[in-house]
Amino acid sequence: MLPVARERCVRRDPWLIVAPDGGPEQLAPISLQVRDLSKSFYGVHAVDGVSFDLVGGEIHGLLGENGAGKSTLCSMLAGLYRPDGGHILIDGEEVHFRSPDDAASHGIGMVYQHFRLVDSFTVAENIVLGHGEGVGRRARRAVEARVHELGEEYGLDVDAAAPVWQLSVGERQRVEILSQLFRGARILILDEPTAVLAPHESGRLFQALRKMVDRGHAVVLVSHKMQEILGHTDRVTVLRGGRNAGAGDTASLAPASLAAMMFGDELAGVGARVERTEQVVGAAVLTVSGLDVMGDHGRRAVDGVSFEVRRHEIVGVAGVAGNGQRELHEALAGLRSASTGSVVINGHDCSSAGPKVRHRAGMAYVPEDRLGTGLASGLPIEDNLVLRSFDRAPHSVAGRLRSGAIRETAAKLVREFDVRGARDGMPVSFMSGGNLQKAILARELTEDHDVLVAAAPTRGLDLSAAETVRGHLRRDREQGRGVLLFSEDLAEVLELADVVLVMFRGAIVGRFDRSEVDVEQIGLLMTGIATTTEASRP
Amino acid sequence: MSRIMVTPRPQRSMGVRIGVPSLSLLVAMLLGALILVLTGADPVEVYRTMFDASLNGTVALERTLTYATPLILTGLAAAIAFRVKVYNIGAEGQLFMGAIGASAVALTLPSGTPTVLMVGAMMVAGALAGLVWAGFAAVPKAFLGTDEIITTLMLNFVALAFMNYLIFGSFSFLRDPTRPVPQGEAIPASATMPSISGRLHIGILIAVGLAVVLWWVLRSTTFGFRMRTIGDSPRAARYAGIGVPLTTLAVLSISGALAGVAGAIEVSGVTNRLDPQSLAIELGYTGIVIAAVARLNPIGVVPVAVLLAAIAAAGGSMQSIGVQVQVVVLLQGLIFLSVTAGEFFVTNKVALRPPPPTTIQPVADPVGGGA
Repeated sequence: MLPVARERCVRRDPWLIVAPDGGPEQLAPISLQVRDLSKSFYGVHAVDGVSFDLVGGEIHGLLGENGAGKSTLCSMLAGLYRPDGGHILIDGEEVHFRSPDDAASHGIGMVYQHFRLVDSFTVAENIVLGHGEGVGRRARRAVEARVHELGEEYGLDVDAAAPVWQLSVGERQRVEILSQLFRGARILILDEPTAVLAPHESGRLFQALRKMVDRGHAVVLVSHKMQEILGHTDRVTVLRGGRNAGAGDTASLAPASLAAMMFGDELAGVGARVERTEQVVGAAVLTVSGLDVMGDHGRRAVDGVSFEVRRHEIVGVAGVAGNGQRELHEALAGLRSASTGSVVINGHDCSSAGPKVRHRAGMAYVPEDRLGTGLASGLPIEDNLVLRSFDRAPHSVAGRLRSGAIRETAAKLVREFDVRGARDGMPVSFMSGGNLQKAILARELTEDHDVLVAAAPTRGLDLSAAETVRGHLRRDREQGRGVLLFSEDLAEVLELADVVLVMFRGAIVGRFDRSEVDVEQIGLLMTGIATTTEASRP
Repeated sequence: MSRIMVTPRPQRSMGVRIGVPSLSLLVAMLLGALILVLTGADPVEVYRTMFDASLNGTVALERTLTYATPLILTGLAAAIAFRVKVYNIGAEGQLFMGAIGASAVALTLPSGTPTVLMVGAMMVAGALAGLVWAGFAAVPKAFLGTDEIITTLMLNFVALAFMNYLIFGSFSFLRDPTRPVPQGEAIPASATMPSISGRLHIGILIAVGLAVVLWWVLRSTTFGFRMRTIGDSPRAARYAGIGVPLTTLAVLSISGALAGVAGAIEVSGVTNRLDPQSLAIELGYTGIVIAAVARLNPIGVVPVAVLLAAIAAAGGSMQSIGVQVQVVVLLQGLIFLSVTAGEFFVTNKVALRPPPPTTIQPVADPVGGGA
C-alpha cells in the first residue's frame, strides 16, 4: 500500500495508486473471499454456508428470489450483522467487522435500497455526515470540490451544494455511491439499486459502475432481475434458500440455466407433485377485465390485466415480488382504486365499490399484511374475528354489540380453525404468525363467500402451519368456490393451482392450464427473459 | 449476572391499572416533599393545608368539584377524539363558542321560561355551537385530509377573538349596556344551573353522566367498535369496511359538542354571564393533559380531572402558610410526570429473572422481511 498525499483535510482513497504514465488512477488489486458464511434469526437460517469470491475489476451479480438470503449476506459484508459462522477474507487476511464503520475502514461500502440521507442537508454535508470532516467554510469547499471531482470521474455528476430534498431519486442514489467512494470504498455493494430507478437512470448507473470496475474497484450487484444480471455483470453467484445454488461467468450462462438455479427445487418438484382428482370447473365467480392500477409512486403498477376465476378452481399468480401483485390484490379487495377496468364478483359489478360491498358480494380476502390490515393488532381476538361482521346480527342489534354472540362466534372459530395462544382481552399482536393467519382464515372463510383472494398466505409460516393454510385453500376449491392465490413461492403455486398466471411488470405475460404447465417457460417469463408467447397468451 | 427483564404485558389486570398510577402518585408526593424540604418548607404542613383546602370539608369539596366539571368535559372531548387518532386541540375554542351559544339563548328566550327548559336549551345550544365550530375543522379533515391539529388550534384564536369582540369590542346584546367597564349581560335567574350544595351545581352530574355514556358507547356499540378499530389501525378499519372519513367526522363533531357543553355549563353554573376572563383559563388545553393521563379512558378522565382540580383549588391557600404558589404548579408537574412514567409499568412487566416460558411469544419475523 503506497502512501498518498492528503489534500487539506479531505481524505483520499488510501489505496489509490497513480499510474506512472499519468493516466487514470488505478487501485491496487483487491480480493474478497467469503467462506461458509452463516446467519440465523430466531432459529431460521437466513444464510446457510454461503461462499463466493470477488476480485477488483469485476461486477459480480448476486442473484436470487426474495428471501434467498442476499440482503442478509450483504449486511454481514457491510458490518451490520455479525455472522454466526464462516470467514470473510480481504486480500487474503481474515477480517471481523464490529460495525459498519469497521467494514468501511476495510474499504467495503454499501448502498442500501432505502437511502440514508438527511433531506435538509446538502449533498456535501450528507457525504461527510458522521465523519467530522467538512466543518467550516474552507473545509466544505474542499469537500464540494472533491465530490465534484469524483462525480466527473465516474459520471455521477450531482450538485454538491444542493440540499438533498431537491434531488431526484436517481440523484440521491448517486449521492449514496459518491459518499462511499469519498470514504474510500474499494468494494461497493448495491442492494437492488434499480428497484427505484427509471430505465434511463438505470442505464446511467451501470455506466458509472463500469467506470468504477475499470479503475479497479469491485462491485457486487444484488438483484432478482435476471436481465440486469445478464446484461451488466461479469460473474454471477446464485443463492436459493440461503445457500449457494450456482455460480459462473455471466457470458457462459444461459438464461434458462440461471432460472433453473434460482428456482431449482421448485421446478424439479413439479413432476413429482401429487395428482388429484379432476373436478369440473364451474361458472366464473371473479371476472377482471382491463384493470389498470396506479402504484404508490404514481407509476402504473398493474397494466391492463384481465382474467377470470371459476368455481372449483385455484388460479395461482406467479411472479417475482414487486411486479404489481400487491397493487392487483389490493385493487381486487377494494383497498386501492383502479384507474380503469372492471371487477365483477359473482355477477355483481364491483368496479368502483369499497371493501364492504365486495365482501358482501362474496369476496373473501386474506391480505399480505397480517397485522395492521388483516387484523387490528391492538384489539383482542374476539373483536378481530368479527371485524367483517360486527355490524350485523347476531353480533349487533340496532347499533348495540351483543358481546355474548360475539364471544360465541369467536369461540367457535377458534375451535374450528385451531387458533392457539389467544387469551381474554389480549391484543392479537402477541400471537404467532401461524395463529394470526389461522385467525384471518377463520374469519374470511365463511359460509357465504364465493371467491377467496389470498395474498402470500403462507409467507413466514412454519411447515405445518403452511400446510394447514394450503389445506384450507384446497377445501375451498372442493366446496365449489374459486380461489385466487398470490404467492412468491413458485413451488406452492405449481402445487395448488389449476391455472397459473405469470405477472411481470404489472402485466399478465403468461397463462398456463395445469395440463400444459411449462415450468421452464414460467421461470423465463417471471424474470422477463421471455416475453409473452403465442401459446401462453390468455 | 442478574438481568432486568422487560416484557410487554399481554393482559392488564385491574390491580395493575389502578395500583400503578396510585403508586406513581405516592412517588410524586415523596419527590415533592423532598423539594419542599429543600426550599425550607414543612412538607407535612403543606400537604395538610392542600388537603384541607381542596378535599377536606364541604366548602373545599364544592370548590374542587365545581372546577373539575368543565375539566371532565374537555378531558372527554380530547379523549374520544384522540381515541380515533384525531388530534382535536380545539376544545378551548369550542368551549368559547359553546359559552357564546348558551349565553345568546339565555338572553334571547323570555326570562320567565322554566329553568328545565331554559338550561336544557342552553346545553343544546352550547353543544351545537361547539359541534359547528369543530365541524369547520372536521369536514376538511374528513374529506380533504387537512391537518386537524393546525385547524383546530387556529380556530381557538378565532373563537377567543370573537368572544372578546362580543364583550369588549362591540355593543352586542351579550354585553351589559349599563356598565361603563365592558362586561357580559347577566343571564336571568331561570338560566342558572340548580345547585346541589352551595356553589356546586348539577353540571358535575351531567359531566360524570356523559363520561359513563361515552364509556358505554365505546365498549358496547357498533359505533364504539368502529372507533376502537380506527384508533388501532386505520388500514384494518378500511379493510373491515368501516367508513373512516365519516366516523372521523362524527367523532370530531361529538368532541366539539362536549367542549361546547363545558362552555354552556360554565356560563349557566359559574360565571352567569359571558365573561371572557373567567372562561379563557385554558380549560380546553388542560383537558388534553387530563385525557393523556387518563389513557384516553372516559371513566379515567373523571378522577384525573378531580385530582387536577383539587391541586388547583389548593393554590390559593399556599400563600397563607408562606409557600409560593409555584409549588402547586411544581407538584402538578411532578404528578403528571410520575403517572406518565408509571405507564411503562402498566404496559410492561419488569422482572429480575427471566420469567418461566409461556406459549405466547411476541410476533417477531425478521426473516420474512425479505432477504
